Amino acid sequence: METEVKDQLVSIEKPELVAVPNWEPVIMGILCNWCSYAGSDLTGTSRIQYPPNIRIIRVPCSSRVDPWFLIKSLQTTADGVLVSGCHPGDCHYITGNYYARRRFLVTKKLLNFVGFHENRIQFSWVSAAEGPKFAQVVAKVTEDIKKLGPLHLYKKENFEKK
Amino acid sequence: MNYTKQIQDIAAKLFAEGKIDVFVGYRMNGFDDNQVPVLIKDPQDVSKLVFTDKSVFNLVNYLKTDHTRRKRVGLVVKGCDSRSLNLMLTESQVKRENLYVVGICCEGVVDEAAQKMQNCVECVVSDAVVYDELLGAGGTLSGSIKPYKVNADVAALAAKPLTERTAYFEEVFENCIRCNACRHSCPLCYCAKCCIDQETSTLYNGANTTSAAFHALMTWSLHLAGRCVDCRNCEKACPSHLPLHLLHKQNESVIYENFQEHLAGVIPEDRGAFYKYSLKDPDDFIM
Repeated sequence: METEVKDQLVSIEKPELVAVPNWEPVIMGILCNWCSYAGSDLTGTSRIQYPPNIRIIRVPCSSRVDPWFLIKSLQTTADGVLVSGCHPGDCHYITGNYYARRRFLVTKKLLNFVGFHENRIQFSWVSAAEGPKFAQVVAKVTEDIKKLGPLHLYKKENFEKK
Repeated sequence: MNYTKQIQDIAAKLFAEGKIDVFVGYRMNGFDDNQVPVLIKDPQDVSKLVFTDKSVFNLVNYLKTDHTRRKRVGLVVKGCDSRSLNLMLTESQVKRENLYVVGICCEGVVDEAAQKMQNCVECVVSDAVVYDELLGAGGTLSGSIKPYKVNADVAALAAKPLTERTAYFEEVFENCIRCNACRHSCPLCYCAKCCIDQETSTLYNGANTTSAAFHALMTWSLHLAGRCVDCRNCEKACPSHLPLHLLHKQNESVIYENFQEHLAGVIPEDRGAFYKYSLKDPDDFIM
């Protein structure tokens, strides 16, 4: 994985703004307790490397994720959000991730509509046994968001005028 | 579309029979030919009532107030208003036996410039879906449901490049003054304590910044996703004339295309799209 970011990385939503030198994205990871959090634990105990850009928050279920968790993350520090839960049918609470799936689609489309790039809001299903998959998902999300540049919208730090 | 005489007769009859304590309708505002809502408690005031194509407001909003709570209410509803009433009944906010609903087969209302409102041009369900008495031609609901089309403004904006959308919405959120009139005018925002008002929470703040306005409006529109009936009360109330319908219609089109083939509030006892799920919901956006 490429760790070096070139200077003058342009924000995709606002091309007149560039990143500070050596900018690294901050990714908010919201993981369900029963599958994805255990999966990320397995990644660590299996000594699989994944990018350190992700900051993980544990929630009881993916349906605990209120859409404003995503809004607030993007508004404060994060350059992207990853929400991860159990595979459909595997939810600890039987149906939680089905309800969550509907909300995720509407939230993603709405945030894209008001001007966030769609890759800034990502979702995945990771089970407790999928340690390598979790590493791949985090690597892909980090790579995607590095291409998009820093998120400037509705926050005014980390930027220099061109 | 003029049902002034019929509505006055109905209100007078209901007061005479002792069926209602208060009647919610429209009256002339006294300055020009625009109308405002009125709560009639005295049978002698029944002659104030009017109903024409200038009767734009959604009167279901007044079922949240102390003037109507735990009282027997007579109410005039158009097609869109009746859908929000349907949702309030489903969500147990009002009791059906306390209401006498005068439904209208609506032909569309006009704004202050006498132009037909955009939501009326695009209206899908024009007849009232819940009523005790129905006025106007129509009356068969299946005949009044027209094909659904994505809102023209939403389609035009969605076709634009990302940077233009970003700039457009940044201006929208900049212009918001956080007066919360959109929330107060919405019939479905009935929570006694709104999450946006919780002063002890650091998640929300009342500061009048672009960031706070973005957060408040996005949260508000997502709480109404799958429930908004497109009555445009919020837009009529907004002092900054923000295009609030864009957020609601965007959510509505996503829900209509992906989850359900009907709009919010059309089917009695049917809750919003977020209260249900289907195993066939789209999964392709998830890794």
